[in-house]
Amino acid sequence: MSALRTMRDSLPLFWLLLAVPAVAQLTGWWSGRTDTMDMLHPTGETSARLMIAAMLIGPLMGLFGPRGWLRWLLARRRSLGVAAFAYAILHTIFYIIDMGNVADMLAEVLAPGIWTGWAALALFLPLALTSNNAAMRRLRAGWKQVQRLVYPAALLTLLHWAWVHNSYAAALAHLAPLALLWLLLAARQIAVRLPSPNLRSGV
Amino acid sequence: MRITALVLAASAGLAVMTATPAAATGAIKCQAGPQSGWKSTEALTAMLVKEGWTVRKAKVDGGCYEVYGTTPEGDRVEAYFHPVTFEKLYVARRGQVLFRKAGY
Repeated sequence: MSALRTMRDSLPLFWLLLAVPAVAQLTGWWSGRTDTMDMLHPTGETSARLMIAAMLIGPLMGLFGPRGWLRWLLARRRSLGVAAFAYAILHTIFYIIDMGNVADMLAEVLAPGIWTGWAALALFLPLALTSNNAAMRRLRAGWKQVQRLVYPAALLTLLHWAWVHNSYAAALAHLAPLALLWLLLAARQIAVRLPSPNLRSGV
Repeated sequence: MRITALVLAASAGLAVMTATPAAATGAIKCQAGPQSGWKSTEALTAMLVKEGWTVRKAKVDGGCYEVYGTTPEGDRVEAYFHPVTFEKLYVARRGQVLFRKAGY
């Protein structure tokens, strides 16, 4: 039992888990089973999923309070975010390999599906660079401001996804759990603010 | 109890994420009849190469042939062709529509 608990609480093991999709994706590419072009979707999707997962933890905390499993997740939120960035970098590397030259990349940089991707990556950069204790100490209150960049970054990521994919479906499906939690939080806030109907009628 | 809630939440999230099919990008649709009446992707690729295209990949999408490649003008695009007539129906570059045949 204690061995299981040690495994559950091991951060290196969690990182190993986060690396599993990359290993699977890269193995497919090395072996020649996956074209460079077809590396773009899985790496980008993994990045977006990890980003959404990290973003779900805050609203879950807000809804359920500091439960044990949420504390476990909260302790791994930074790992999820940094892993999302790592997959975004992998995604960018494969985009560069696939395009093959700067001229082709510049030619499409203003296409809706492309500038949104670059802009999202640009916003991810300060997020990733400040995902450490030293940056948290140095920036103090400003740290939270920097980390709030995740919201525009997420919006750009989902737009990038929808536009390169010619469909909003997949991007919206990934936004759905987050939107649901935000709605629940907002609904509860409204419910708390309104005086209870029972009180008003004096019952 | 906690584990149940966690598993429930995780599976619900996973269900939502995997509910949408990844295959069809759904840019346009073709009603071209049964596949036995279609010409081959090899023939389409050969025709396009002759016109000056570079073809990276050709596959079926939405009942049309979808081609990833470079146009004779040098644009990296995703293009749709009718699988029977090989008529060009749609050309887009990362969400920017460069050509769309009327009616499609």
